[in-house]
Amino acid sequence: MTEVAEESSTGATDAGRTAAARSHLPGDPSMWFFVIGDLVIFGVYFVVYMYYRGQDHDAFLQSQAQLNLTIGTLNTVVLLTSSLFVALGTAAARGGRTADATRLFGLALVCGAVFPLLKLVEYIPKVIAGVTPGTNLFFMYYYVMTGLHLCHVLLGLVILCFVIRNLRGPAMPRISFVETGATYWHMVDILWLVLFALLYLMR
Amino acid sequence: MTDIDTAATHSATPARPARNWRKNKKLDQWLAFWIVPVFFNLFGLVFVPLSWMMPPRSPSAPQSEIVGFMQSHNLLIACVILTLTFGLAPVTNACYLTQMKRMSVSPVFRYCLIMGATTGGIVGQLFPMFCFGLGAFRPGYDPKILAMLYDFGYLAFIGSLGCFCIMWMAFGLAILLDENNILPKWLGYYTVWQYVTELIAAPVWIAKSGPFAWNGVMTFWLAMAMYVSWQIIVYVCIFRSIKNQPDDELENAWLETEPATPDSAAKADA
Repeated sequence: MTEVAEESSTGATDAGRTAAARSHLPGDPSMWFFVIGDLVIFGVYFVVYMYYRGQDHDAFLQSQAQLNLTIGTLNTVVLLTSSLFVALGTAAARGGRTADATRLFGLALVCGAVFPLLKLVEYIPKVIAGVTPGTNLFFMYYYVMTGLHLCHVLLGLVILCFVIRNLRGPAMPRISFVETGATYWHMVDILWLVLFALLYLMR
Repeated sequence: MTDIDTAATHSATPARPARNWRKNKKLDQWLAFWIVPVFFNLFGLVFVPLSWMMPPRSPSAPQSEIVGFMQSHNLLIACVILTLTFGLAPVTNACYLTQMKRMSVSPVFRYCLIMGATTGGIVGQLFPMFCFGLGAFRPGYDPKILAMLYDFGYLAFIGSLGCFCIMWMAFGLAILLDENNILPKWLGYYTVWQYVTELIAAPVWIAKSGPFAWNGVMTFWLAMAMYVSWQIIVYVCIFRSIKNQPDDELENAWLETEPATPDSAAKADA
């Protein structure tokens, strides 16, 4: 083939590549099924929470004032930082900088692991002070929703470990698996942001 | 030969004529499969229009209402049907297990499903049956005792949903880890939601009214909406996976292809 044809074809593939990158679904499509479904389920829980909060607004506000806003904010910062490392790590893995990606995912794992520890620091004094799910409807919601989210965080930490193992392995890392893990971790983040707003901040 | 190969060749063969149904090599699996809707329909009939045990009555119902319910004739008939058909429940699990055996995962998952189904079945189905049966068949109990049986029956029925958690967790993980693609991956994720929404049923032990009571929005209605849709989808998927299973991969395939030998018995144990 002629050089002209080659040149025009590389130009076309460049354009094609950006178009493909735009329409490319990162990670495993069934993970997106999971993420969207999970967000819908949590969305329904949030709507039900808002309904019951509207029924007894004052009691909910009073109980809400007992929550530890400092730890809640710290947890938000920790999760967001962790997500930033995951995003940078995914970009590094895509660019072929596997060693950087491994380090970044390691940092994300460390930040993520702080979250359950902070949650324990938050839960234990509450339970000792006698504030349990049986106290009132707000605290029932508080323990159930944050507990459910905590399960998601723990599962996310396991997934991050598998991503790191994938990156450190002797074979070429599977980028789609890295993206799948990153997708899940960002979902955990979004859920926490909504939970934090609903349970801690809303007046 | 890979699975995709065999699945493709199998789907190319025409369906067997209806008159040969007794020679169908998957007859055992199909019988077990069609017992499932029979079982669930009977269960639905007993719980909803016959006894109105479901949707759950209020945990804070007055004593007179509890006594009226526990000693009603409809509850008696419901308990009779339950006692007679309870044994169909294990058949339903046989469907899952036969297909799970084809997955490229550790047998530990199958044993978890068997044990989870056993313990869940005892606590979630037998206990309530005894509690409501006692009320229906033995008139003359003190109303306070009837109220306790009522609590016991409902808490065992709805509060035991956690028992099924590990069972469905094993099922979901097996689907996700399986490399033979026996069941679709998204069903694995769906199963994960299903058992997580069952975990939410734990607060029924604490709350007596509101969204977390045993008749609440969070613990019963949302969990039930997830469960019923999931159950129907699982059966459609199991149907397709039985249908796509190649005949030569069946566990009883050796019956027809090989003459009877002394080691046949060993194969039957496999």
